[in-house]
Amino acid sequence: MLVLMLEDIRKLVKRTLDGGKVDGVLALWRENGRVGPHLFVKGDDVSTLEIDPKYNLAAVAILALASGAKKIALIGRGCDERALVELFKRYQIDEDAIEFIGMACSAEQAQACECDIPYPTKIQFGEKVDGVVPNELKNVDDMSLDERFAYWRDVFAKCIKCYGCKNACPVCVCQDCVLEDPMWVKKGEIPPEFPMFHLIRAYHMADRCVQCHECEEACPMDIPLTLLYRQLRQDMKDLFDYLPGASDAKPPLTTVLEDEKLEEGA
Amino acid sequence: MTFEPNILAFCCNWCSYAAADLAGIGRMDQPTNIKIVRVMCSGRVKPEFVIKALSDGVDGVLILGCHIGDCHYVTGNHRTMKRFQVLERLLEHIGIDPRRIRLDWASAAEAEPFSNMIREFTEQIRELGPNPYAGSYA
Repeated sequence: MLVLMLEDIRKLVKRTLDGGKVDGVLALWRENGRVGPHLFVKGDDVSTLEIDPKYNLAAVAILALASGAKKIALIGRGCDERALVELFKRYQIDEDAIEFIGMACSAEQAQACECDIPYPTKIQFGEKVDGVVPNELKNVDDMSLDERFAYWRDVFAKCIKCYGCKNACPVCVCQDCVLEDPMWVKKGEIPPEFPMFHLIRAYHMADRCVQCHECEEACPMDIPLTLLYRQLRQDMKDLFDYLPGASDAKPPLTTVLEDEKLEEGA
Repeated sequence: MTFEPNILAFCCNWCSYAAADLAGIGRMDQPTNIKIVRVMCSGRVKPEFVIKALSDGVDGVLILGCHIGDCHYVTGNHRTMKRFQVLERLLEHIGIDPRRIRLDWASAAEAEPFSNMIREFTEQIRELGPNPYAGSYA
């Protein structure tokens, strides 16, 4: 099934490139036995194209566009689409510069990421499967405040402050990161101060985390970061009816209160 | 020795700091556990400020601004309000009692409500006890 899908995608990429409407197709390729991102251009051998393992290409699209391509197609999963939406909203990528080709994840892939929305809004390949709720979520929810504090304290004690979570994140786009500012995070100290370091990052992810799990996969110490971010996503839904990456709605933390709308031009 | 809470209050220049001033001029009786940091607007209070205060061992953090609709900068306190809601939830997720932080409004004329807020909050923190979340892994 996956093999058939891969063949179809390769054919589509070939057609898209030959069609000439885009300057390139951003996808994964296999080179020297490893899989990584690659911008396919006309004439490239599409048989090297791969769709597994997962690699969030949204942030790579910024680089691809910066390298001179005017319009590219991007083969991605649900999380790629959500990350793109967040990047459009934050003026990192021009919406017209991307043609998104969406794949739905298989049940195994969804399970591997414990993904809650393992499909894009536009599905061209694959079939929609249900989202997964991690068991750990209920465990953490059921804990008392003190137990939870002990849990996170232990988990974050493993942090070696490699900034892998920040670097892998497709929606971490600030030029100057608060986490690198010695005012908030002391230099040369591991594990970083708890709860300072992780709370800052979590807060900054609240209105933008698209649950792509790149941070967790990048983490060499297996810290369950997405567990915390997932709870925050739920909070954003409860508080402001906002789900990062789901629509072009403005991030609620940057807008004013609904019932106190300002006059035009005020 | 009995526990005396150490509380940090961020007061905005235009309303709540003036309320604090008026409470002083009016010689109102209130606990002295509060250390006030004057900011130009409650919207200046980044969540980082609050997290750092708790991380560094402060027992409670108050953020006081103008009433919604009365902000000197029109919508500064709107943002404070939204951020605060998220911050409260975040603290709860990570196991920090959200009762240690509080957001409230006081106009420049509200000296008495201001003292009441301070009194209530100090009592609340006294009941919660010293901040157990302070410090690193050292």
